[in-house]
Amino acid sequence: MRFADRAAPALLITLTLFVFVLLYGPLMVPIVSSFFTVSHGAVDWSQPTTSAYVALTQNDSVLSALWTTLIVGAGAVVLSVALGTGLALYYASPHAKGRNFLQFIIFLPFLMPPIITGLALLIFFRQVEFERSLLTIIIGHTVFVLALVYRTILTRLQSLSGSLVEASYDLGASSWQTFRLILLPNLSSAMVGAAILAFALSFDETMITLLVTGTQSTLPVRLWAMMRLGFTPDINALVALVLLFTTVLCLVAVRYLMPASAISGSDDN
Amino acid sequence: MAEAGILLKLRSVSKSYGATAILHSIDLDVHDGEFITILGPSGSGKTTILRLIGGFTQPSGGQILLDGNDIAAMPINRRPFNTVFQDYALFPHLTVEANVGYGLAVRGTPRAETAKRVADALELVQLSHLGKRFPAQLSGGQRQRVALARAIICRPRLILLDEPLAALDVELRRHMQTFLKSIQTEIRTTFLFVTHDQEEAIAMADRICVMSAGRIEQIGSPHEVYYRPGTEFVAKFFGENNLIPGTLGPVDGATRSIDTAVGRLVCAIDGQPQIAALPAGSPALAVFRPEAVGIGEAAEGENRIAARIDQVAFGGASTMVNTAAVYQPQQVLKARLPSRPDGTSLSQGETVRLVVPSSACRLVPA
Repeated sequence: MRFADRAAPALLITLTLFVFVLLYGPLMVPIVSSFFTVSHGAVDWSQPTTSAYVALTQNDSVLSALWTTLIVGAGAVVLSVALGTGLALYYASPHAKGRNFLQFIIFLPFLMPPIITGLALLIFFRQVEFERSLLTIIIGHTVFVLALVYRTILTRLQSLSGSLVEASYDLGASSWQTFRLILLPNLSSAMVGAAILAFALSFDETMITLLVTGTQSTLPVRLWAMMRLGFTPDINALVALVLLFTTVLCLVAVRYLMPASAISGSDDN
Repeated sequence: MAEAGILLKLRSVSKSYGATAILHSIDLDVHDGEFITILGPSGSGKTTILRLIGGFTQPSGGQILLDGNDIAAMPINRRPFNTVFQDYALFPHLTVEANVGYGLAVRGTPRAETAKRVADALELVQLSHLGKRFPAQLSGGQRQRVALARAIICRPRLILLDEPLAALDVELRRHMQTFLKSIQTEIRTTFLFVTHDQEEAIAMADRICVMSAGRIEQIGSPHEVYYRPGTEFVAKFFGENNLIPGTLGPVDGATRSIDTAVGRLVCAIDGQPQIAALPAGSPALAVFRPEAVGIGEAAEGENRIAARIDQVAFGGASTMVNTAAVYQPQQVLKARLPSRPDGTSLSQGETVRLVVPSSACRLVPA
């Protein structure tokens, strides 16, 4: 037993490290490569350079794709947070009808393969003769990220004591006052966290965008187009930047989504 | 029609969830200015009564009358009542001052007046120095007092308290009982206090409403429910009563006899017309408290029961003597005697005579 006691943790640590290398190792390749140039099909390891990053800043198609991505992300965030908050409040209200069905509908586009969601949207837009544009991308992204936003806000809502709302009414507040003065302040950090996660998801969403876009390309779609012409250091640089950006967003989001007690260190007995 | 002195009337109020009945036809008057306690074990429906009055749930039947008007349709935020919740329900993102002032702020009370009344309320609950803190930075007892200040600031006609002391430790709970009672006396507002703790109910209430399984068992002063239980449930709920089953004999003025396996006992029935009205031969229980029992020749009283001592347990101020009746060995009888510095002369196995005055013996229907 002694041996097992000591061997088991060692084995687990090794396994964990292996998984980490497997998961994150490949990510290091483009990051490292982005700092070197390629000539005649071979990487020149002798001289690290940031020339690929400089080239990106002068690439108009990349810059306009970045701009599109930011607009789409912002639009999807605003729509999904507004919708997600409303739906979560509805789900948690004691008189809600058909809440499980509603929740299923919200989760569906997130759980289905993106290509199905994208195709469904494409067919829908075609049928109702809705011209594909920036707006259709925003709608597509909203449908996709709504589940996450909704769930994040609902989780926070359900962690609040139900008597908070009752106490507010008891003290004479109206529904609107209760929402604005009690619910909103207690949900706001979850809403910010959900918004950041939604933005991160929207930022690198590719499949749905490809299907519902008109003439615009977002950054991932642009990246996809560039890769068809072969791997170049600016692709690596772009991947590295997207990676960095998404990671930072997720780290910030986690901070907002932690329970309040874990941040302020309050003793909630 | 408003009746003088009665703030709130519950008439045949019932509540059920689906097929499960929580309350059966409750009739209850809440008097103006009183401290009334709804007492019962969990599941007795006591919190449901509070929630119905507060407007958090709707009755399935019956009427709740405020000044003679049914308030069934009155929304929570219009009712002139405020609640102290079991988990306090303090708003975590607001300071103590903002929590206490919330009820005034949502009504658009001018800022200067709100500030003044918040300061007064905090002074009343002795928390003036903690106004800028957040609820998470307070102890349980302090949160409790913030919740109370928040409830009284709107000058409600009735304050509903839902087991507010349950989360506190024993010592703090005792302190808060005295504190709550003194606040209630000071602001002269009606308190409706829900608890499962008999000692708490006795310590604070003007009247106690004892509940069991969705029904009111008895309503009366603490003294009444303690010494004159109306039902077997109440007799058992208030501690270590002795209960002896038997059949009722005839009424003799203010007393009535009961024939039991340990002999005929004479019990007082003054103030209990419902006991006097029972036909002779009905099953009933004789009830008396251990502290009413005397032991030996010197003790005075009409009822004498021969018993064998099982155990003598010294308990500080008093000594509990557990005995078994000689003529009915499975009948346990307890006597609580004042302790003496030189100890007791009673010993295990000894046969003694238990003496119970008829004035301390009561009857409840079986």
